[in-house]
Amino acid sequence: MIKRIEAMIEKSVRALREVIYGMTVYDWVHELEKARNEQERLFTLIIFGDLLGVPILPPYHMLRLVPYLVPSFESWRRSMLRERDFTDLIDQEIG
Amino acid sequence: MNSLIILLIGVLGIAVGYGFYARTIDKNIIQPDPKKATPATMYMDGVDFTPASRNVLYGYQFKSIAALGPIVGPIVAVRWGWLPALLWIVFGTFFIGWVQDYSSIILGVREEGKTFGALSYKLISPRARTILLIFIYLYLLLIMGAFGKIVGYDLMTKPAVPLGVLFVMGVGLLAGQMTYRWKIDILITSVVTVILAFVGIWLGTLTGVQNFFTNINELFGFSFGDVTWARMLWSIVVLVICYFGAVLPIWRWAQPINYVSFWIVFLGIIGGTVGLLLWRPTIDAAAFPALTTWDGKLGELGALGPMWPLLFVTIACGAISGWHSLVSSSGTARQIEKETDALPVGGGAMFLEMFVAVLSLLAATVGVGAARYVELNAGAFVFAEGLSKFLTYVGIPESFGLPYGAVFLTLMALTIMYLVVRFMRVASAEFLGDAVPALKNVHIGTIVALALSLLLIWTGYWSHVWILFGSSNQLMAALALLLASLWLMTKAKNYTWTFVPFVFMFLTTMAALARTSYVVLRDAITKGAELPIDKVIGNYVAGVIGVVLFLAALYLAVDAVRAIQTRLAEGRATAGTD
Repeated sequence: MIKRIEAMIEKSVRALREVIYGMTVYDWVHELEKARNEQERLFTLIIFGDLLGVPILPPYHMLRLVPYLVPSFESWRRSMLRERDFTDLIDQEIG
Repeated sequence: MNSLIILLIGVLGIAVGYGFYARTIDKNIIQPDPKKATPATMYMDGVDFTPASRNVLYGYQFKSIAALGPIVGPIVAVRWGWLPALLWIVFGTFFIGWVQDYSSIILGVREEGKTFGALSYKLISPRARTILLIFIYLYLLLIMGAFGKIVGYDLMTKPAVPLGVLFVMGVGLLAGQMTYRWKIDILITSVVTVILAFVGIWLGTLTGVQNFFTNINELFGFSFGDVTWARMLWSIVVLVICYFGAVLPIWRWAQPINYVSFWIVFLGIIGGTVGLLLWRPTIDAAAFPALTTWDGKLGELGALGPMWPLLFVTIACGAISGWHSLVSSSGTARQIEKETDALPVGGGAMFLEMFVAVLSLLAATVGVGAARYVELNAGAFVFAEGLSKFLTYVGIPESFGLPYGAVFLTLMALTIMYLVVRFMRVASAEFLGDAVPALKNVHIGTIVALALSLLLIWTGYWSHVWILFGSSNQLMAALALLLASLWLMTKAKNYTWTFVPFVFMFLTTMAALARTSYVVLRDAITKGAELPIDKVIGNYVAGVIGVVLFLAALYLAVDAVRAIQTRLAEGRATAGTD
């Protein structure tokens, strides 16, 4: 019984910490992640510029970097091709 | 009636509304599946789509939706009596408020993270997206007008307030510097900056500082209409703050300041609630009647207008708000990890906001009392006084509590205002950027948004601007409910729970818009000679905004009726085939 109460209290404290985290620091962390991923998107675009008809890097260097980018290629492609309208941009602006 | 009973009614509303009604709809109609992939998990790219746990998102959602609406709305609405205000807060949230927030999230989750622009294009008509853009821009302009007037005219002109607000801004920037540049632990940053912020608010209460700001406020004696030098100065200062918030990177200005502001607001709400529970006052029924008159006349304050539709738009975010649907669909829906999280996040945060609205209602009725309420002209400062009264019961003297309450309110407004200017800049670039390329420039787009806001702040009657803001806010919510209803129709699910609230909110907000636009334009035309020139201009501006919003909503309604007919015909055809 006591163990159950302890577990319940622990769970509640953890939930409260998460809620406060969501109200306070989450925004910052989310924004930093966004900034980092936007840089990665840009980097991938530079590497795969050929696909868009813009050969930015010589193919030799590009080919050497391709293996590192393959895992994130699918999400990059989807992200680049996704149609965005002003209500999407609102999300970008509020962070 | 004792304030504890009113609080209990609020808690009961949450228990039954969330525990029974919301859960039943969630379980029987939406039928969320925790194993089903959500857009956040399917399309995780760290930019648009990022999964987060339900508790974190609950905090994020509440922080994003809570602004001045649930606080100022109930304070104004008690002029019709505290009972109708309380009933609308509780029943509005129960039947409409959470429905809108929750369905906006569900719509985003089930439609691959599409936001309102794309959804209105798909579910209503192609032109709906353009109309929505115009609508959102004007809605945002009204937020700026309503909030800007509260802060620039009422709160910042009190000599004990500006230093505290400016100090919190500075401390917020310090928080950003400590975190990003000096890499100091967030816990230490928080403790240092929050203590400094409170010190700043306390410094503002010192007689020397107050005298300094009084001298600034009285530096020039000129005024244009009711725009005195002090109001002119502080409304410009507020907009300069918004300018920086809109043009600087969000991590540099908006986020660290919002972070420090959050603690000021959060501690105020906790302290106020505890103080109220310790005090347990009773509403003086003779001074503050449960029901005043149909047209909202309390004491020497003039009549506001008919209870329907005006009460339902005056209490803006405390019962239902279109702002929530924008946040829910563009932000939260793309971070939901499991479908089952939509109810606790969307519904749960709305019910908590309802509690803030009830607290605000009590601040006006028991914290301030009728005589002082009338003396303060039912303005936002009523909340500051009510909160300071509650805080005295947790040992905080009124000499500190009063400016603290005013800084609390100012920060709540400012943290939303610079995000609103960012929205406006994006919307104007999107809508007119091709025709007027200059609007794509960050600074020009922002200055245009601020200039329009200033025009509304300096010229409009606050009561009319607030009602127009409330109407557009609730109308935005009605549009969210319409999208949810159309989506439910396409999925052949029960749509009564979204469609009936949509019809009610649509009729109410359209009536409020039509009435207010008529009143302000009538005054501008027929009383032009009697009114000061600034008020004539303000009435024309407010009237034109009201008419455009009304027409935009009407266009959307026509397209929506066609879309509904199509959906119902499709439904009948499918049933016939089956």
